[in-house]
Amino acid sequence: MASTPPDEDLTFPNPYSVPTPEGCEGWEEMYPYYAVFDERRREADENRFWFWNSMHFPTPHPAFDVICIDSPYQAVGAWQNRVFAVPPAMGIDYRAVNGYIYISANPVTDPAKIAERAEFFQARAGHYFANWGELYPKWRAKMEALIAELDALVVPDLPEYEPDEVAFGTDRNTAFYEVLDAYPRLLRLGDLMWQHHFEFLLLGYGAYATFAELCKAELPDIPDQHIAQMVAGIDVLLFRPDAELRRLAALAIETEVDGAFVEGRTPAEIDAALAESEAGRAWLAELEKIKDPWFNMATGDGLTHYYRSWLDDPSIPYASLVGHVAALRAGAPAERPTDEIERERDRLADGYGALLSDEVRGPWNDLLALSRIVFPYVEEHKFYCDYWFLTRWWNKVREFGALFAHHRFLQDGEDIFQLSRHEVASALDELVLTWATGGQALGPIHWPPIAARRKELLEKLSHWTPPPALGVVPEAINDPMTIMLWGVTTDRVREWARQQTGGSELNGAAASPGIVEGPARVVRSLAELAEVREGEILVCGSTSPAWAPIFNKIKATVTDVGGVMSHAAIVAREYGLPAVVGTGRATSEIRTGQAIRVDGSTGVVTLLRDER
Amino acid sequence: MSAAPIKTLKELRAADADQFGGKSASLGELLGAGIPVPPGFALPAAAFTEFIAGAGLAPAIAEHLATAGDGVDGLQAAARRIGEAIHATDAPAHLASAVTTEYAQLAGDDSPVAVRSSALGEDSAEATFAGQQETILWVRGADHVLESIRACWASLYSTEAISYRRRLEGSEPAMGVTVQRMVDASVSGVMFTCNPLSGDRSMVAINAAWGLGLAVVGGEVTPDDLLVSKVTGEVIRETIADKRVQYVPAAGGHGTECVAVDAERRQQRCLDAAAVSRLIELARRVESHFGSPQDVEWAIDGDGELFVLQSRPVTGLPKRTSAPRPASAMALVMGTFGARQSKKD
Repeated sequence: MASTPPDEDLTFPNPYSVPTPEGCEGWEEMYPYYAVFDERRREADENRFWFWNSMHFPTPHPAFDVICIDSPYQAVGAWQNRVFAVPPAMGIDYRAVNGYIYISANPVTDPAKIAERAEFFQARAGHYFANWGELYPKWRAKMEALIAELDALVVPDLPEYEPDEVAFGTDRNTAFYEVLDAYPRLLRLGDLMWQHHFEFLLLGYGAYATFAELCKAELPDIPDQHIAQMVAGIDVLLFRPDAELRRLAALAIETEVDGAFVEGRTPAEIDAALAESEAGRAWLAELEKIKDPWFNMATGDGLTHYYRSWLDDPSIPYASLVGHVAALRAGAPAERPTDEIERERDRLADGYGALLSDEVRGPWNDLLALSRIVFPYVEEHKFYCDYWFLTRWWNKVREFGALFAHHRFLQDGEDIFQLSRHEVASALDELVLTWATGGQALGPIHWPPIAARRKELLEKLSHWTPPPALGVVPEAINDPMTIMLWGVTTDRVREWARQQTGGSELNGAAASPGIVEGPARVVRSLAELAEVREGEILVCGSTSPAWAPIFNKIKATVTDVGGVMSHAAIVAREYGLPAVVGTGRATSEIRTGQAIRVDGSTGVVTLLRDER
Repeated sequence: MSAAPIKTLKELRAADADQFGGKSASLGELLGAGIPVPPGFALPAAAFTEFIAGAGLAPAIAEHLATAGDGVDGLQAAARRIGEAIHATDAPAHLASAVTTEYAQLAGDDSPVAVRSSALGEDSAEATFAGQQETILWVRGADHVLESIRACWASLYSTEAISYRRRLEGSEPAMGVTVQRMVDASVSGVMFTCNPLSGDRSMVAINAAWGLGLAVVGGEVTPDDLLVSKVTGEVIRETIADKRVQYVPAAGGHGTECVAVDAERRQQRCLDAAAVSRLIELARRVESHFGSPQDVEWAIDGDGELFVLQSRPVTGLPKRTSAPRPASAMALVMGTFGARQSKKD
């Protein structure tokens, strides 16, 4: 390894010296005591490398949603560190800074320890790889059962009088118990989902990353998208929702009800227009049939309650239907050309395979086969866990919010997300207590101002620009997950450090080829997504496959975080749009309206002129 | 009669490199494989030997070399005198008549041809170093062809060639000559059937500029630089250069001249998508014929016809620095997670 050149005296801001934005003093109250940069841990924490996980936490994080930091990091650490014992890497720590979540991996450095862990890892990971085909269907069954259990979980209300069954039956509990029972069960179902989420993920990514690495070692210039194309499934579950919409758009044209799909109409207006005719009602019935499960897509990728499902917010699928109808009328094919995709996939695999030396071709073919086996999981876990389960789970939390609002503990049910999960438990205690006793509840006086203050904090903090990283610039990034999942590599981190002063170029990973110029549209929250206009270049923390419909509008995409396996990259390739991912600071350097050039082949974003 | 007759390029194969030099032999190979190469004929190295012997030039050459000393001035003076002697000597009558006949068959009265040296020996990089890469373009008429052949021969005694041979032990210099119908190129350049920088064999690296290939080969113009996937034909990277000059046939009808490129074409990409895909197809065929990465000189004429002018093996590719490769896919996966394969496996 080359030693660091002397001019690179690089460093990131000290996590203990980050100024608090004006009016945001006390933001720490939204987070657990262990989730902030605490003086008592200073010596260790300020000497670590922390990066902003804008892929999962693009906006200031609400207090309740902290469970979606704790739980995934509990789960990923449990699998990586305690089950598989990945030799050089334990788990991931996080800290909140001005409401934004920074993370840092815990390495294993003792060679003896690494060797000890390698024994575990080889046996356990080997078992999974060898039996993947058998284990994965069981995982799917487990997830479907878990989602059914979530659906069956009832959030009770607190009636004036308990029903007769409680009085006359012998097996019914009173509402106070049911409420206190349901809430922790809901939390535990969430934990269980996160446990399942990470069971296969590390290994799946690892197999794929190994294949990608071998491709690049042998063929240094191979485009990342060719590697992805060789591996990607023909029938990718994540593309099913959009494929179903395309099919329904074709049906609308066939049954001559496509006149209802007018740009600018709301879903309700489109439904109303369809309901006027027999054929329109038949089409609506068809739509109803695909909603379970395909409308369980989320509107985004972040791990916060902001992301609703298509069921909750049909504006995205309806916009997509309008787009598909227009495209079909213009002669676009109704179905994804799977034959063509399959042929292309084989052509690439044969073409590249033929260029390899005999001794490499064997392992290469085996890795390609293994990657194709694990890839469905890598894609599908997202639909089952992050979309289907999580959007429904947030809705169950909303039912508790409604209960609070009904009893005036909160002004609005949505405000439940401003309380931590422990505060919610405490508020429920008081709620059922005063419901039972008939005494005066303090909750209606206590909680609403807290929720109001935190909403104000989140709003103010959303205008702050988090630096891509804090603390020291590491000599090298060795953590497999940091590299595979976030695309944070040694080179990328150095680039971030050098770019702290700004500049007219941003570098990221070349994720989808092509060069375009156009006005930037910086989207930092889901609400801003609706502002995206035709022909703009989407600049965001990270994108989600659920944003696919707006990919019809944009010319290219640039993200702060993400590797070539990130979903922004996959969707961009699917839509043939240039993409540069993992620039570190695109959302803070680029302003909406600014002209930029995106070179998805080299990974360079050029800021052309500032039209602020 | 000449012991080693002139042959047409299409009669030659790789094995003829010993007699005809690497360039003629490889062009013959390409023609045999059905790859478009401008037709032509080749003089064997024996023709040169015979020329020297017939004219009795050997003692004079030996004398010039012996008295040249080691200084640059001396070497240059010797090179000049030997060159003058070669230029002043007529080729043997039977050779001149054979060349005239072949030229007439190839090019009629006075169509232009290219006359190039075809060095002996495997390593053409070495030949470049030794200054044995004479190329005379746009030669018209049998007399001028003969004159150009002598120029190629004289290049064996260029200052660089003499100096280079001084460091080798007792090799008798000789070379073949290639005479080929001239391609009136509107675009030309060089391509490697791999990325010479990274060694990636799935890529074709293309350099292209307007006009005849001299400017690209000689480094007088910054060419358009394209990296194209050999597998899919996609352009992976490209840099369109400001191509200030190009070589065109000289106004007088003989030779070439370097002229400025029109302002509007200077920064224009000189290969369209169809040309790129034909070049890639050609790269695949040439490489698969020779079985190793090739460095190909090519030209596209005014009618859009694509020709290979030369192909030679790429040497000096970057060595792979990868550690000893684990034997199995699973060992590699374990490596990704930092788990070296233990003795168990």
